[in-house]
Amino acid sequence: MNPGMKLLLVVLIALEISFTQSLVVNCILIAVCFVYIMVKRMNFKTLFMLIFWPMFPAVGLFVSQWLYGSAGIHFAWVLFTRIYAYVFLGATFTLTSSITDLALTLEQDFRLPSKFAYGVLAAFNLMPKIREEVQIIKTSALMRGEVFHVWSPKLYFKAILSSIQWSQNLAEAMTSHGFVEDEPRTHYRIIRITGLDWVTFVGLFVIVQAMLFLIKY
Amino acid sequence: MTDVVIHDFNYQYPESDKKVLNNLNLTFKDNHFSLLSGPSGSGKSTLLYFIAGLYPRFIGNDATGSITFGDTNIKEIANNQISAHVAMMFQNPNQQFAMDTVIHEMTFVLENIRTEPAKMDGIITRSLAFCGITKLRDRVINTLSGGEKQRVALACIVAMDAPVIVLDEPFASIDPDSRTDLIHKLKDLQENHGKTIILADHDLGDYEDLIDEFYYLDPTSHQIRLLNHDEAAKFFANFESTQRIDKRFALPTQSDDGAILKLRNFKLDPHNALLLSLDQFNFYKQKTTLITGANGIGKSTLFNALTKLLPYEGTIEYDNKPIKRFKPLAYAKNVTLLFQDAESQFLNVTVKEELDLSFKNRFNQNYSHEQVAKMLAQLGMQDRDDQVVYSLSEGQKKKLQIVEMLVMCPPVLLLDEPFKGLDYKSLRLITAFLAEAKDKYGQTQIVISHQLAGLEDLVDYHATFQNQTLTYQEVM
Repeated sequence: MNPGMKLLLVVLIALEISFTQSLVVNCILIAVCFVYIMVKRMNFKTLFMLIFWPMFPAVGLFVSQWLYGSAGIHFAWVLFTRIYAYVFLGATFTLTSSITDLALTLEQDFRLPSKFAYGVLAAFNLMPKIREEVQIIKTSALMRGEVFHVWSPKLYFKAILSSIQWSQNLAEAMTSHGFVEDEPRTHYRIIRITGLDWVTFVGLFVIVQAMLFLIKY
Repeated sequence: MTDVVIHDFNYQYPESDKKVLNNLNLTFKDNHFSLLSGPSGSGKSTLLYFIAGLYPRFIGNDATGSITFGDTNIKEIANNQISAHVAMMFQNPNQQFAMDTVIHEMTFVLENIRTEPAKMDGIITRSLAFCGITKLRDRVINTLSGGEKQRVALACIVAMDAPVIVLDEPFASIDPDSRTDLIHKLKDLQENHGKTIILADHDLGDYEDLIDEFYYLDPTSHQIRLLNHDEAAKFFANFESTQRIDKRFALPTQSDDGAILKLRNFKLDPHNALLLSLDQFNFYKQKTTLITGANGIGKSTLFNALTKLLPYEGTIEYDNKPIKRFKPLAYAKNVTLLFQDAESQFLNVTVKEELDLSFKNRFNQNYSHEQVAKMLAQLGMQDRDDQVVYSLSEGQKKKLQIVEMLVMCPPVLLLDEPFKGLDYKSLRLITAFLAEAKDKYGQTQIVISHQLAGLEDLVDYHATFQNQTLTYQEVM
């Protein structure tokens, strides 16, 4: 499915389940997403992370609603499954779509300014370097006789300085590689939204509506 | 004809009253290979950024005078047409690319200049082949070495096919083989593809027989002069004489006497690729050990292991105690790394704040404020207290970085390419400072450097890094 459409669908469904209270629909969504990402061959470590980390907020919400809330255990379960529904909905997008394809479709089909699409993409490509940079900053601080912790403002100050510097260098690099804001570009790979994309999008959306309308528990 | 004509050109940085470029009048001739040399920080980059159309857009203020390509003033060229006139290659290999892979970056470039999609595959294949990196086509750029990245940058420029190519010290951090190769590729572009090459470099090696014109940016008059053949020959000869170390190095005794860092059964294999394997190797106290070897072979990785940044097998002992038993800060106070990238060392904003931090946290009181002020003045870094460190030139950043680490005066200082981007005069000053730290304050120094000239007085031992091992050698 077109990554832009997929993102839109995921966001719409996530929004909807924020305002409805159907335990069954949440479970169906989780199950369907689970099957989808398994079909797309996700490794078990990622799967474990997906189940493990949301456990904390999910259990927290469940317990506080169950013990202290006024809406009862059903609502506690709704909250619990909602967290997992969000996580798995998100995972269907992030684990199975390429960020490059998303940028391409946002630029070509969703008419987003190319500056935005490529800016986000370039920033995304910097992510591994940002992680490295934090490690370098910490080591560098040691070499200057300072210890930086996660809560040290100077760590963030330095990280922000680095990113400002990078953004300037990146802008220069993009410009020198011929990129000009708001100018037409050609496209090596054309990403179109196909009829099938529309059918899938509308179809899935209608099914979710029907479920939310019919299944109230 | 695309002569690049600089006419009555003046520039000064915002909030500075000194001109860095003073009334320049010169012509970089069409289809010539022009070399622009001059000390680091003299303004070469600034001029190139203006020629490439990046300035004044990316800097606070404009210059006076004009730059024309043939008959066209650069100011009259629309933003989307600039890249049809001029392409630029930067000094830092890590900051030239917006996309993740080589092929994505190259299509990005071609899309920007509105190449027909049907023609892209052909252009990309030819450009990669020209630069000898057909194999790198699908590689992730972050995983490439510096030399490979600069080849990719050149491939992008070849694909853009602009008549004028400007290069700002493009080889400052890459290995000698890549450098020689890239310089010959540039010559090929000039001779066989009609390009005009304008290249700034203070390292004159490999250029003598290739360049057509030699321009020199004088750091005192801030003017650029075209040198005649004899003058140029003198510059090259002078540079040549600085490129060798004819010294015969002593070999350390095989014993552990005076060893400060001991590596035993040491193995370094990050990402399961064996880089270094040493049964037994010592670094010696109050000596300067120079490590040489090709780029990407693992020299910096060794430093990362010595500073506990990377895991390793076997043991490293500092002062007869395994370094794993030291707390991070305590160890960093003893074995300190001077980063290859000067900016990584900075934690503050202005020059003064940076120096103050070193004075505050220094491990001993060896250097007085007066002494440091004098060192800075010798390096031409005086009166820069309030300057933002990030706005310094690469050479100035390096000088500040070295001075602030000298102030810390740790017992062991690891220096990763400390002379990168420095002109010869600054290099000699810095080696003298380092020699003083060693002789007077007993510092042990381990230096990785591609730049060899001018180090003879400083270096005591020389170790070659090759075939996954380190060996002390008498000659270079």
